[in-house]
Amino acid sequence: MVLDTLKKIEEAIQERPKELEEAKKRGEKVVGWLGYNIPEEIIHALGLIPVRLGTGGDDRLVEVGARYISTKNCVFTRETVGLFAENKDPYIQKSDLVAVDTTCIQMYIAVEVIKYYFKINPLVLGVPRNFYLPDGQEYFNKELEFFTHKLEDFSGNKLDTNRLAGSIKLYNGIRKAIKELYKYQAADKSPIKWREVFDVVHSGFYLDREKYLSLLKELLKELKEKHGLPVIGSLNGDARIFLSGSIIPPKDTKLINIIEEVGGRIVGDDLWSGLTPSLNVNIKDPSIKGIADAYVNRIPHASQPYILNVNTDRRLNNLKQLVHESKGQGVIYHTLRFCDPYTFNANETGAVLKKDSIPLLEIHTEYSGSDFEAIRTRVGAFVELIKNKNILEVET
Amino acid sequence: MTEKNNKKPAFAGVDVGSLATKSVIVSNGTILGYSLIPTGINTEENGLLALQKALDNAKLTRDDLKYIVATGYGRISAPYADKTVTEITCHGKGAHYLHPATRTIIDMGGQDCKAIRLDEKGNVVDFAMNDKCAAGTGRFLEVMANVFKVKLDDLGPMALNAKEIVPMSSTCTVFAESETVSLLARGENPANIIKGIHRAIANRVAGMFSRVGVESDVFFSGGVAKNVGMKAALEEVLKAKIVAPEYDPQLVGALGAAVIAKGFGSKV
Repeated sequence: MVLDTLKKIEEAIQERPKELEEAKKRGEKVVGWLGYNIPEEIIHALGLIPVRLGTGGDDRLVEVGARYISTKNCVFTRETVGLFAENKDPYIQKSDLVAVDTTCIQMYIAVEVIKYYFKINPLVLGVPRNFYLPDGQEYFNKELEFFTHKLEDFSGNKLDTNRLAGSIKLYNGIRKAIKELYKYQAADKSPIKWREVFDVVHSGFYLDREKYLSLLKELLKELKEKHGLPVIGSLNGDARIFLSGSIIPPKDTKLINIIEEVGGRIVGDDLWSGLTPSLNVNIKDPSIKGIADAYVNRIPHASQPYILNVNTDRRLNNLKQLVHESKGQGVIYHTLRFCDPYTFNANETGAVLKKDSIPLLEIHTEYSGSDFEAIRTRVGAFVELIKNKNILEVET
Repeated sequence: MTEKNNKKPAFAGVDVGSLATKSVIVSNGTILGYSLIPTGINTEENGLLALQKALDNAKLTRDDLKYIVATGYGRISAPYADKTVTEITCHGKGAHYLHPATRTIIDMGGQDCKAIRLDEKGNVVDFAMNDKCAAGTGRFLEVMANVFKVKLDDLGPMALNAKEIVPMSSTCTVFAESETVSLLARGENPANIIKGIHRAIANRVAGMFSRVGVESDVFFSGGVAKNVGMKAALEEVLKAKIVAPEYDPQLVGALGAAVIAKGFGSKV
């Protein structure tokens, strides 16, 4: 049975394009953004409306995007270009400015292409590769100062410390609620599935952030009333799958559907379109530097490597910790073709998890359906492996 | 199930592959019957036909069967089965049944190729599968046999008779076909080219094993396992002896499905 608050969130999403239209009529401005390191706190504190852009899973849009960029770019990037080319996505239509960070080089360059062909108003936030070095952190701080000044010019407002403190409090509340929701979906006899929580996270890409936090609190209250506190204890014979790897954006349901169809239960993720942006954000003071320092110390995207030092790699350590906390029994490592940072890291991620007796299955895919059956066989065998269905008497 | 003649319960596995549909019947510790037919366009009918032929071969009727497991890519259209299991798990059980010391399986079927690692009970502990490509599959070898105007079964012995090896740079079915035509036009010896084709495929298969590892004994299953040239090339590249089961390697998946059917059926 669908939770009442989930229905409310769905209704709110239906209404959101109209709300944005009305806000724009009132003179408010919408900042659509792409990437991983854009701090929404600053956009929000300047009185702008942040919207996270990008959808996946539509091979037709990928083909549209491929008219403007190479077929050797990942499908998410190609579909994003396709979205701008078609200009039917309500959030792209309503974006007055498109912010992108340079975490993913493909996406950053794609925005340059989008600017050239579709005359958008872009703003770029530079991100260091070696973010763990003081020079890298200083670079990001300066980049964020420049980014903020550009947004101040765009909004006509100056960044106010009190307003920024309020925005930080709002986003801390959202992140805390999302982390709590993830505990519920992994719990025994959970009334909410991972898939529903993932959709709730994606709703937060679009909804008014104050309203979103209010809905998150309402959802947590409903869960607590109906279920009590989340307890992750018994395994109950489920094949508990943890999802990692390349982005799975809104509307990309191929792998998720297959996992569920073959009897797997997803119990967590460390996706940059899922839980990870809510983790390890510790903003010590309401300033640009406070935010820059906090963002640079989050769980890094795979394109921000630790020079393959698997012992100190925060991304790998975070993955191991989340798998452990959610009692995941196997990791499905989803890589999009030409998403090099995640694809390159698949083998050592598998090797690191193997030391903890956690098997990893890499699924390397695109948005077309041509590999659907092959993926179904692999995921099916992986679920069988986890469920240990194949431990049967060999005697006949 | 018919108990009137004190018959032991029988269990069936049906493996609906891309090129061939196979069925095996087991009972009381022995293989009673089998069948192998080409896969047509109706996978459900193919599975049922293979099952019936295996029953005929075992001199049993459908009523004698206690449990049926379907596998292979056509398992999704098998309403006659009590359960479906992936071919990866089935090949593990089938290989373990035939050769319990099996720890590694190379399965080369009609449209895909798999590297499977087993524990001592025949449970799958790791696997890798080729990626969106016909290289190393039965379909690839069919195309190559057509280029040389020979029967598929002749490719392996021809490779073994090669005096030298002509390197093949591509394992893409389309590119390998055009490369082969060019090599023949250049006057290269066909057997040497065929050996080069087998080596190229073996190198590609070795790439999958770099992910899952190789542990003896190594078992070769699937239709391509009938190709002696491929077996020799794999042994050379993997630097491992491949055991030759005294059973049709193309039936291993169906046999594993029957073994699993026995496991589930015994609990019913």
